[in-house]
Amino acid sequence: MRRILRLIFGVTGPPIVPTTGWSAPLTLLSALCMSFLAVLTIVAGLAATRLAAEWRADLTGVATVRIAGIEASDPATVEKVQEILRTTPGIAAVRPLTDEEQHALLEPWFGTEAPLADLPVPRLVDVRLDGAGPDAAALQRRLDLEVPGTVYDDHGAWRGPLADAAAGLRRLALGAMLAVLLAAAAMVALAARATLAGNLEVIRTVRLVGGEDRFIAGAFIRRITSRAFAGGAIGAALGLLMIGGLPDLAATGILDVPLLPGRFGTAIMGGLVALGATVVALLTAQVSIRLALRTIL
Amino acid sequence: MVELEEACFSYDGRPVLRDLSVTLEPGSFHFLTGPSGAGKTTFLKLLYLEHLPDSGSFTLFGDNPVEATRREITLLRRRIGVVFQDFRLLEHMTVAENIALPLRVAGRDPQGYANDVAELVRWVGLGQHMDALPRQLSAGEKQRTAIARAVINSPDLILADEPTGNVDPDMGGRILRLLIELNGLGKTVVVATHDLSLIRAARGTVGARILRLAGGTITQGAGEL
Ligand SMILES: Nc1ncnc2c1ncn2[C@@H]1O[C@H](COP(=O)(O)OP(=O)(O)O)[C@@H](O)[C@H]1O
Ligand SMILES: [Mg+2]
Repeated sequence: MRRILRLIFGVTGPPIVPTTGWSAPLTLLSALCMSFLAVLTIVAGLAATRLAAEWRADLTGVATVRIAGIEASDPATVEKVQEILRTTPGIAAVRPLTDEEQHALLEPWFGTEAPLADLPVPRLVDVRLDGAGPDAAALQRRLDLEVPGTVYDDHGAWRGPLADAAAGLRRLALGAMLAVLLAAAAMVALAARATLAGNLEVIRTVRLVGGEDRFIAGAFIRRITSRAFAGGAIGAALGLLMIGGLPDLAATGILDVPLLPGRFGTAIMGGLVALGATVVALLTAQVSIRLALRTIL
Repeated sequence: MVELEEACFSYDGRPVLRDLSVTLEPGSFHFLTGPSGAGKTTFLKLLYLEHLPDSGSFTLFGDNPVEATRREITLLRRRIGVVFQDFRLLEHMTVAENIALPLRVAGRDPQGYANDVAELVRWVGLGQHMDALPRQLSAGEKQRTAIARAVINSPDLILADEPTGNVDPDMGGRILRLLIELNGLGKTVVVATHDLSLIRAARGTVGARILRLAGGTITQGAGEL
């Protein structure tokens, strides 16, 4: 490890500050915990987003028209509705549900023997949308005029709350991520200050024999950063391994999206979290140590 | 080299040095004397910039340290070698690493100075202890380590605070001869001591001035040895 550090940072000779004390294992441990939490947050956030996207995909691009009332069973009415829909911009395809399909939909409520023809059930027309779909309000006005009792339903009632839920989940994940980052930064700053305070005499001596702030800060920052990287990598790996080891939720039907983005994506995610821990430690240590050193002439 | 004029310094409002004026010429040798608590260490701390004077004028190597940036202060310090009264050796470094520290912090190439360090370690008689840690050394050996560290960077100004305080008279004599030898190489030397026998021992070997510190100020016209 020391050899590698020497290669990377050009460190020569023994560390400027002694490598004893509590702050070393504490920095590693807090980086580990924070990365572990970060992985959980990211995975949860991504899964929520993917799940919401999947729900939405099921509902976008399609709409349903319900033809209710006495004329519903009249083929001419259905024909008229189809004609209106075909001439509306933003609609790609129109297809009335067959009797069998209507049966299938109603089966859970009425059983297999329901005499559908005798019941005033609405007829359903499946609509495939083109792009953003039609102007729903304008279409509804036209339907009201020409075929009263007919309702155009673009599932907006479902989509709105879903979009809200997805956005809320994303905000939550981002908030949790931010909290983890802030807590990590605070811990690194505290650990940096503690190391500094524990080595005040060493620092004074190094300054008095001609050491610059940059040189002294570098010695601390190098160590804090390498510990944060080690802790971050372990924490991320641990988190990802534990999530990977969960029973297959897709098979249970609880959650039909994968939690991890494949082998390669998972490795990248772990790497990014470890890198994030390193960068947070680097920046926080840099700022807090440089500021603290200025109080020592 | 060093010029202080009417310099004052106090610790938390308690004055220790007042209206202190002194000039140190390049290549000169000074004994700074005075009773314990007179302010000898404090005076040296002003010279190596651990403290700055509260008032008065101060010139060091032609610069005004009071208005220097942190980096400028560092660069000034690199021209000063200090033998601290309490040595200030880094406990986690070996004798050789401690001695090499001023070169290392100045960013010098270790390959380039390894031989110089080894040579100086032998010169101060610590060849056998090159890889020892400070806690394994006697007070005299620590003192010699501190002296070697003070001179490794070939500083223009050497400040030694009670450099014979922890050693027997024999070792004291050797340390004194070492400082006189460095002065012979053109270095300006200030030795703070309350040990008058050390000053007597130097008589006849070096053209030293005595700076007597009393009442917070240096008595001017301090005599030659
Ligand atoms: N860091 C300090 N804080 C407050 N007072 C100090 C400090 N260092 C020294 N003093 C006081 O300043 C006076 C001069 O001390 P010092 O310079 O160490 O004298 P000397 O080296 O001549 O024995 C003493 O009275 C001492 O108690
Ligand atoms: Mg003293």
